Amino acid sequence: MKRVVCFLLILVSGLLSPAFLLGQDKREVLIRNATVLTAAKGVLENTDILIQNGKIAKIGKNLKAAAGAEVIDATGKFVSPGIIDCHSHSMLDAINEGTFAVTSMTNMRDVLNPKDIAIYRALAGGVTTANLLHGSANAIGGLNTVVKFKWGKPVEDFPIPDAPPGIKFALGENPKRTHFPALPNQSPRYPRTRMGVMETIRDAFVRARDYKKSWDDYRAGKTRIPPRKDLELEPLVEILEGKRLVHSHGYRADELLNLLLIADEFGFRVATLQHGLEAYKIAPEIAKRGTGVSIFSDYWGYKLEAYDSIPYNAAILWKAGVVVSINSDSDERMRRLNLDAAKVEKYGGVPEEEALKMITLNAAKQLGIDKRTGSIEVGKDADLVVWNAHPFSVYARPELTMIEGEVYFDRSKDIERRAALEKERQELEKLDVNKSNNTTAPRLPSEKRQAERDDAEYH
Amino acid sequence: MYAWKTTLKTLCAFAPLRLCVLILTLALTAFAQNDGSEQNVLGRAGTFAIQNARIVTVSGATIENGTVLIENGKIAAVGANVSVPAGAEKIDAKGLSVYPGMIDAATNLGLSEISLGVNASVDVAETGEMNPNAKAITAVNPHSAHVNITRVIGVTTVLSFPTGGTIAGQAAVVNLWGATQAEMAVVPVYGLVVNFPRIAAFGGFGQPPIEFSEAVKRRDARLEELRKYFRQAADYGRVKDAYEKDKTLPAPVTDLWLEALLPYIRGEKPVLFTAERERDIRGVVKFIEENKLKGVIIGGQEAWKAADALKKNNVPVVYTNIYNLPVRDDDPYDYLFEAPSKMAQAGLKFAISTGDDGPNVRELPVQAGLAAAYGLSKDEALKSVTLYPAQILGIADKLGSIEAGKTANLVVTDGDLLEPRTNVKYLFINGRLIPLTSRHTELYEQFKDRK
Amino acid sequence: MKFGSLLCALAALLLFSVCRVDGQKRTDVYAIVNARIVTVAGPPIEKGTVVVRDGLIESVTADGAAAKIPADARVIDGAGLTVYPGFIDALTNLALPAPQPAPVPQRGQTAPPPTGPVSNSNYPTGLQPEVSAAEQLKGGDAQFETVRANGFTTALTVPRDGIFNGRSALIDLAGDAVSDFVVKTPVAEHFTFRTGPFGVYPSSLMGTFAAFRQMLLDAKRLAEWRKLYAANPKGLKRPDADRSLEALFPVVDGTLPVVFNANTEREIVRVLDLVKEFRLNAMIAGGQEAWKVAARLKEQNVAVLLSLNFPRRTAAASPDADPEDLETLRFRAETPKCAARLAQAGVRFAFQSGGLANPADFFANAAKTTENGLSTEAALRAMTLDTARLFGVDNVTGSIEAGKIANLTVVRGDIFAKERTITHVFVDGRLFEPKEKPKTPTAPNSNAPAVANVGGNYSITVEIPGQSVGGTLALTQQGALLTGTLTTDHTGSAPIRDGKVTSDGFSFAATVDFGGSQIELDVTGKVAGDRISGTIATPQGAIPFSGTKNP
Repeated sequence: MKRVVCFLLILVSGLLSPAFLLGQDKREVLIRNATVLTAAKGVLENTDILIQNGKIAKIGKNLKAAAGAEVIDATGKFVSPGIIDCHSHSMLDAINEGTFAVTSMTNMRDVLNPKDIAIYRALAGGVTTANLLHGSANAIGGLNTVVKFKWGKPVEDFPIPDAPPGIKFALGENPKRTHFPALPNQSPRYPRTRMGVMETIRDAFVRARDYKKSWDDYRAGKTRIPPRKDLELEPLVEILEGKRLVHSHGYRADELLNLLLIADEFGFRVATLQHGLEAYKIAPEIAKRGTGVSIFSDYWGYKLEAYDSIPYNAAILWKAGVVVSINSDSDERMRRLNLDAAKVEKYGGVPEEEALKMITLNAAKQLGIDKRTGSIEVGKDADLVVWNAHPFSVYARPELTMIEGEVYFDRSKDIERRAALEKERQELEKLDVNKSNNTTAPRLPSEKRQAERDDAEYH
Repeated sequence: MYAWKTTLKTLCAFAPLRLCVLILTLALTAFAQNDGSEQNVLGRAGTFAIQNARIVTVSGATIENGTVLIENGKIAAVGANVSVPAGAEKIDAKGLSVYPGMIDAATNLGLSEISLGVNASVDVAETGEMNPNAKAITAVNPHSAHVNITRVIGVTTVLSFPTGGTIAGQAAVVNLWGATQAEMAVVPVYGLVVNFPRIAAFGGFGQPPIEFSEAVKRRDARLEELRKYFRQAADYGRVKDAYEKDKTLPAPVTDLWLEALLPYIRGEKPVLFTAERERDIRGVVKFIEENKLKGVIIGGQEAWKAADALKKNNVPVVYTNIYNLPVRDDDPYDYLFEAPSKMAQAGLKFAISTGDDGPNVRELPVQAGLAAAYGLSKDEALKSVTLYPAQILGIADKLGSIEAGKTANLVVTDGDLLEPRTNVKYLFINGRLIPLTSRHTELYEQFKDRK
Repeated sequence: MKFGSLLCALAALLLFSVCRVDGQKRTDVYAIVNARIVTVAGPPIEKGTVVVRDGLIESVTADGAAAKIPADARVIDGAGLTVYPGFIDALTNLALPAPQPAPVPQRGQTAPPPTGPVSNSNYPTGLQPEVSAAEQLKGGDAQFETVRANGFTTALTVPRDGIFNGRSALIDLAGDAVSDFVVKTPVAEHFTFRTGPFGVYPSSLMGTFAAFRQMLLDAKRLAEWRKLYAANPKGLKRPDADRSLEALFPVVDGTLPVVFNANTEREIVRVLDLVKEFRLNAMIAGGQEAWKVAARLKEQNVAVLLSLNFPRRTAAASPDADPEDLETLRFRAETPKCAARLAQAGVRFAFQSGGLANPADFFANAAKTTENGLSTEAALRAMTLDTARLFGVDNVTGSIEAGKIANLTVVRGDIFAKERTITHVFVDGRLFEPKEKPKTPTAPNSNAPAVANVGGNYSITVEIPGQSVGGTLALTQQGALLTGTLTTDHTGSAPIRDGKVTSDGFSFAATVDFGGSQIELDVTGKVAGDRISGTIATPQGAIPFSGTKNP
């Protein structure tokens, strides 16, 4: 035991030594001889990518790395940017604050769970970044967090520090609580119609405007008592000031457009329409306002407001000049966004690179993080996936997923590790604390795992 | 196509003439390769020769350059050198591939239009625990939007099954073509669906989870009820048989419920058991042995672990878990992707199915392909959505491969059938050339050029 | 005098298993001689004398250093005994009443307004930090008997309910009158990451965070407003007189610590983030995974009231059950190592019982921390002086030093040994002698003790305030396992979960449907003959029930 401690001490002090830290700084990774799908500047055959300090330093042929650099031979393999999921509820310990129609005081940053196995499974599907959103129970929901899936790291390493803040809005069936009738001892929550949803949003912005004025007056010395700092209204003021991105869940074309009109009325831009299953019906109106749309590629029909959704949605929007991304809203679907993007080529003929952008660069643009990630370009974060085949092939699977040059998923290591985990389990089960004292009932077996989504069963 | 024409008319009524011409041109370009589009959605019968095609027969070797001849709804001939009768409509399939239509052996297609919030459109689960006489074929909606949306990707046949209670009813095998249920039917009453009793924490929607010993008790009680019900049916059958032989015996009163079970307890038709975990699957096999049934597993997450028992009793598996998350945190991330490859290694007969209630049955090819990304051979993946489901459903004499004499359910593509980017260029069901239109293409046409 | 002794003995026989000797007299003088004295303040004295007078420690001397035994002292021969400072449990609910029953909404009725008993608060029940243990404490010495017999003299006691649980008090575990036993109040404000009652904000974890933040901001503003008003009220609206916000003033300015209940790594990290955000003076209670964030705890100077209720597997095995998660297996293996790792990282901590059913397990589990690398000195401090220091009372208690409160625990054998007997307990200088040897510490893995016989069908009446509701309770007992069904006229029938039978009663949980919403119930009770009685804890408060066995 003592020896082990000694060894660990030596190891730790070694890790902290200046030499090692220096090594860390200059950490280099060289990916060799890959087919590189840049999602910005086309496809580069037989190309190397040199990564220094977590950034893409060089892209080219026959690049040289420093001695001691990690070299990944990607001959016959494909490298794409890490996938960005613009709508996710992974790694959240709670999703909906359903009591009020406006819950902008809540913040998903408070409830991150860095141990959620969904993170690892998403990495194994090539996802490196996700927009973690509040649920859709409220016309105005909570604040979002944009994270990189740095599995195994402390939670504070997950959020992207320079990602612009955002907020969730929701329209249609969910905020009007269609599927949640009021309980016998409760009065129904306002709103119950699409009319009420719009008025809820309008009212919130009117209150936010008044609130801002009360602070302006106080700061100008017109009043003496400091106004209440209101956590509900602060984010709405930020929206009015153009400092916070609105990501609004919505399905029907009319409700999407009505939100855009409210935004016009109050002078802000909606960053993304989330789901936007009927966005194709109002593509010009959306394009005109520079609003992005983040959709399912072909998931549809599960409820009335999803019945007019078509897989050509992306193509129509793209042709109209809208920045389109494809999201999952599901821990399950998240693992195969590459195939969802591939379908966009089929339905309406979006070119390959444009389709790839819909799960990478376009999502980064919508989230305001495209300066650092979303494509394979010099100077960007080395958020990369190495695939055994073209990621738009159904036979493709990620072999390696890295974030900022660090490998977070490695299929060969995953397979290697399985035996060790089984052995660890056997050892642990031998411990006294892990033997049953038979005071409670056995654990119920399960056979289905619900993917985390808004309102548990729908979007 | 009626709707499509209406759309065009509507658009033209409001658009300037030049735009109309443009729309028409575009439309014609879009459908240039489907002369079925001139017909209504039921397509057009005829004699067709698909020539210069790569023919993936599935049952035999792939023919790199050959002809498939379609006559009277059947595949009349397949080969590198097929003589094409005069008057046959020739389709030049240079650069294209012909596949058998795909078969999804576990869906609820046509029984549920909009599952959440539109109960009026849902006919999937009858009330009560024992509904052996409920027949899917009497509720599958031939005019569901899901029919066209599913077939245009190349899925031409599905099993549609009811879901409620312990004995949910009888499933139908249908082609995704037909104005009536009879026209759709391949096997109108194919098999009995039994939701095999299992330990479930789920106590019903909005109900609290069930405590363990209570859940075990409930499972055992439901299993006992099921056994009893099968015994009752056996008694009923004996009384009926006796009466048939000796009319002096008291005439038995007809019971539609028990009557429906007779072909199953006699082992004439298969019983489809939904089961996922190993212990439940072994429980199913025991039940099959006890009652001398013909069985099929639907679900089958851990079927590979019970391969010995399943093989011994010739029980095939319709695997519906490609798009499910592994149940336990400790399961390897690819646990459910990899299961088909493990079933193949274990020598199990299996098919891959979406298990979907309608809208997303079109994911079938991608689901099979994903299994191939995780260990299954591409060849097996293709078979798992064509020939294998045909064999499991007992329709391999008619469907599942490209062989002379089989029903002409064919898909002509510009690439690998399982790839998501592949386009279907021609579609035949029952030898009819089917237009590649659906609710989705109609909405697309309506809105794609809106300015 | 004789008569008094007789009465006392009678009382002890009738009521207590611990005899309280002359508790009321101001002439309590004791000298424990020839004892091993673990002062905690300094090195142990192998053979020495402790003199107790008038509730305080008068002197501590090593033999040979001219130990003076006062003539008026009752002399206790300490040969073979060890004297420890009285042990402190750093988090309990001792002396607090069971949660108050609140009206439960009936089907078809409007839910009662979610405001608590305090009138001048604008915040709902659950968000009332002004709740104070000291105001809720109930008197009566008997309630302390069991813990005291196990060697505890002092405990922090914290209200159970709410998101803001309210303010805690440090109490000595003896005395009939509340005024006798309160050592310090308030010690801290306590907070639990819970949600409000069904359908009432906050109903989610992030809502709870938002509510916490908003209240702290509101409190800050109110304090500022009051200052302005006090300086010059003319032309200013009068500030609110909101008790809930007032209770947060010392939290906002850091004069009162906030104790956050948090066990998992991520819960603790969330607390640390809040502490940083509001510059709180904070502690963690529970802290089972605190070792994983020891560096941050140290850096932010956040102490841990570490639970000694170590997790272990209770679920029976079954071929029909699922295997346990690897994370769970690891968690159980790691938890007893937490204390040593915190000590190594320099994090301050004190031990709490964490709701242990058997108080003796506190010491058995403290011993496990020493087996896992914590020094016995550090372990002792974590239940004496370090605890007192965390609560700001180390100047008066927590070690054996002249002038401090005479809280002493005298043990035959080492407190960390499996075989030990608590022979004398001094609380505020009053001597309690456990009459019988307390039960051998039950290690959690020891064989199940003899259990009561509670199986059967009972007709019960549930006493919801203002009305009685009928029901039935069907209990099936298999050893210490209990299964069955709870049915009431208002909730229908629900299976019971986690059913347990102990030596003198039973407990189980159930989820019932109440007017369409799911309500979690925790039920505890006893069976005597064919009578059954107990308490149903609901999110709205506790409700008593009683009934009889059906023949």
